[in-house]
Amino acid sequence: MTPPRSGLRPPPPPGGAASGPAEPAPRRQLGWTRRSLCTAVLAWPCLAPAQAFDLKALMQRLGQRKSGEARFTEERIVSGFDSPLRSSGTLSFAAPDRFVRQTLQPVQEAAELQGRTLLLRRGGRTRQMDLDAVPEVASLLDAMRATLTGDLAQLQQHFRVELSGNDAKWVLLLTPQEARLQRQLRQIEVVGQAADVRSIALQLAGGDRSLMLLEPVTPAR
Amino acid sequence: MMATPAAAPPPHRTAVLVVWALLLAAALALIVRTPFTADLSAFLPAAPDARQKLLIEQIHSGLPSRTLLMGITGGDAAGRAQASRTLARALRDSGRFDQVNNGDTDGWAGLGQWLFEHRYALSPAVTPERFTPDGLRSAMAEAMSLLGTPAGDAIKPLLPRDPSGETQRIAESLIPARAPRSEDGVWVARPRPDGTPRALLMATTHAAGADLDGQMAAIATVRQAFLPLQAQGFVLQLSGAPVFSVDSRARIEREVHWLASAGTVVVSVLLLAAFASLRALGVALLPVATGVVAGIAAVAAGFGSVHGMTLGFGSTLIGEAVDYAIYYLIQARVDAQGRGGWRQWLADSWPTVRLGLLTSVCGFVALVFSGFPGLAQLGVFSVAGLLAAAATTRWVLPALMPQGSPGMGLRRPLGRAARAALAVLPRLRWPVLLLSLAAAAVLWQRADLWRADLASLSPVPRAAIQLDEQLRADLTSGDSGTLVVVQGPDVQATLQRAEAAAERLEALVDRGVLGGFDSVTRFVPSVATQQRRLAALPDEATLRASLQQATQGGPLPAERLQAFVADVVQARQAQPVTPQGLKGTAVAPLVDALMLRRPDGSAAALLPLQPARNAIDTAAVQQALQGLPDVQLLDIGTELGGLYQRYLREAQGQALLGAAGVVVLMALWLRSGRRLLSVCRPLVLAVLLTMGALAALGVQLGILHLVGLLLVVAVGSNYALFFDLLNQPGAATLDDDMLASLLLANVTLVISFVLLATSSIPVLSAIGRVVAPGTVLALVLAAVFAPRRPAAL
Repeated sequence: MTPPRSGLRPPPPPGGAASGPAEPAPRRQLGWTRRSLCTAVLAWPCLAPAQAFDLKALMQRLGQRKSGEARFTEERIVSGFDSPLRSSGTLSFAAPDRFVRQTLQPVQEAAELQGRTLLLRRGGRTRQMDLDAVPEVASLLDAMRATLTGDLAQLQQHFRVELSGNDAKWVLLLTPQEARLQRQLRQIEVVGQAADVRSIALQLAGGDRSLMLLEPVTPAR
Repeated sequence: MMATPAAAPPPHRTAVLVVWALLLAAALALIVRTPFTADLSAFLPAAPDARQKLLIEQIHSGLPSRTLLMGITGGDAAGRAQASRTLARALRDSGRFDQVNNGDTDGWAGLGQWLFEHRYALSPAVTPERFTPDGLRSAMAEAMSLLGTPAGDAIKPLLPRDPSGETQRIAESLIPARAPRSEDGVWVARPRPDGTPRALLMATTHAAGADLDGQMAAIATVRQAFLPLQAQGFVLQLSGAPVFSVDSRARIEREVHWLASAGTVVVSVLLLAAFASLRALGVALLPVATGVVAGIAAVAAGFGSVHGMTLGFGSTLIGEAVDYAIYYLIQARVDAQGRGGWRQWLADSWPTVRLGLLTSVCGFVALVFSGFPGLAQLGVFSVAGLLAAAATTRWVLPALMPQGSPGMGLRRPLGRAARAALAVLPRLRWPVLLLSLAAAAVLWQRADLWRADLASLSPVPRAAIQLDEQLRADLTSGDSGTLVVVQGPDVQATLQRAEAAAERLEALVDRGVLGGFDSVTRFVPSVATQQRRLAALPDEATLRASLQQATQGGPLPAERLQAFVADVVQARQAQPVTPQGLKGTAVAPLVDALMLRRPDGSAAALLPLQPARNAIDTAAVQQALQGLPDVQLLDIGTELGGLYQRYLREAQGQALLGAAGVVVLMALWLRSGRRLLSVCRPLVLAVLLTMGALAALGVQLGILHLVGLLLVVAVGSNYALFFDLLNQPGAATLDDDMLASLLLANVTLVISFVLLATSSIPVLSAIGRVVAPGTVLALVLAAVFAPRRPAAL
């Protein structure tokens, strides 16, 4: 249901309040968030102020989950290709900074993100690389990980973040801030329900796009 | 007075002077044509074993010795990125650099094109199975997995010609495990709370690491190229081994000049005060100048080049060699009774001076036989310098000033003060002995006294090291300094062995033991491997049939892959690439960096390892490489440390031998155990007290401290001998002038070493800080423990 306007106060996490990964972001971010929320509200006339859904509260709520796993199916529409490219697999994350995208079809491969280190596994080979060194890959993986772990500060480092909808269906619109990223990526649209992310849609600057649908394996707590 | 026969000039004085001048001119001519070095190579063994040879090759010509690290600060992020591109372009165009990297992928366009063209020979995925319908289907699925993501833009244009993704497969193998952070398309420093934001670049000079003039020109090119950016408010930070080598050379040069002039000026003022005669001053400096010139010339003749450190050490010869002149000028003077003159000095004092010379030479001869050119240079320099200085004193000075120096200057008060001190000093015997016990106790406790390392020899200032560490942390965090070296009798054998080693290392990467590694075989596989791959390519008809099947129902129809078929058909006819055939291509610098080709045709492939987390598990790597021929794991840091330890042990042995030689020589001369003991006592105590004081101050002792201690023994023995000989029956009386000459000699020596102690070059200051206090102690203790001869006092 629509949360009260004052924002959604999260229930205390099971293991004690101070240990959560989203905790470091707190007070100083607040003013900033409110301001960007105001901007979002002004820029989006269809969103009535009464329905404003607190971004910080949502991220905190997402951040309370210490781990999660979801099956995904992905469809990519790439110009020059006759049919969509389809793939499926699992996404999983574990606080504070682990995120794995495991593709099972059509070929097995995995991208494991731990901190700033990325491990790519393909056909029995492993490559380790530095996330900072590959911004093209980093922006997307960072955005997904930050959304799943509720790391608002990380998200806002590269994206303008706009939230709409309500608890039953919220939409997080991520628009790249940096010119270089804008040349590649138009926007990312994350749709969710309560504390679950249900789909991630990507629009590239060149017109290619993809839609990833998620089915949680572990239900929201 | 002038007519006394004793004071008549020696015969053949003109001949002596002419010979001296000719020798001096010859030595100078030799020096002028000798290059002068300042790198660490002088501290590497001259006759290395196989492992050390690899290490030396690395230090001389390895990639690190040629790599410049650059930072650009100032302006905003976009401005710095633009500045980075501008600078990189200018450096690439200059032709002085093999590689210029700033993170900008445009810089790799040439290499990318080359790799793309040779993809079927280079891709490890090329096998017969890869081109069956099933193989192609799964290869294409993998190749397309990044499409529809921001990373896909680079891949899409390649697919029509490379649907199986061989280029991706090659690129994937080249991704470094650790790389600089990239923003706005260029390398930048990782954000840190206290860090200055900066863009980062790395450039490998074309000039070899040992070619300091070439390195200097490369650095000048960078600074020149940066000038327009500087005008826009950007600041260039420059570091790396070439900068250190070039700066060190300049610093040593500057410092050596400064030390030499300061030493000369201070000693001159002192001599002027003592002799009150310009002529005496000029004459007193002759043995010094001759000694320095002879020392440098001897090193030049023996080694072909002179190390900066040897020159810095040369300034200490000023203090030592001027002693001979002081002894002569004071002791050969003709007194009111007409006694004295050069003949008298030759009879009375020369034997003592000669013995002192021999003990000093004895100390340094030990160093001459060192396996390390740096230490051997010091030995040769000192032996030749001292011999030349003494010879000048013995033959040239009598020819120029047969009556010593007539002026008195401040000698009388100096002598009186010395005599007064001499009366009091023996009372200090017990306090000195107690203090020595305390020093011994301190030394006993400090088991880690000799802990300084090779870096302590480096003349690089602290601030420069800090900047280097900052740049290095961002630019080369993956560079562990550990590499696998694979050797072979020829290039192809080496490449095959490197492929075998790379296969083992690959398994370690998969297991997470290693983060990654580089190998020349990713750019140039062995001919055998390339032929195997090219032979795996199907003929046109087979490929078309397989492709038709593989693309059935897929997103990319076979009709759009005509260029792929054409490329494969062409690749089947291609000749394998060889390192020799790469000259001028974009890949050549990378191959040269990862493979050394020696003039005798043999080669060594270098496979630098990147850690998975922090450190390399050398034991695991060692185990994985077991059984492969001519494969070695080389950890440069550890190897250099080991080298220094060997160097230190060797120097310790030589110093002990040198000191023993001094004692044996004195024993032969003195022929009395009691006298030998009384001469050695102040020396031993001086060394003990000096070391104790350094230990108490927490100084880490290194090789140069050791050389300093040897010098304390070699020089200090002269003072002790004087006290001993002058106390023998029948010797000249210990008059005020004699005391003044001893004191003056000591003061000039100490001053030259105090100057050295203030040097900003650690090598020089270490010597100064040992010898200055050590020789003062040697003189004072010689007086403290001088045998009493009531008649003279």
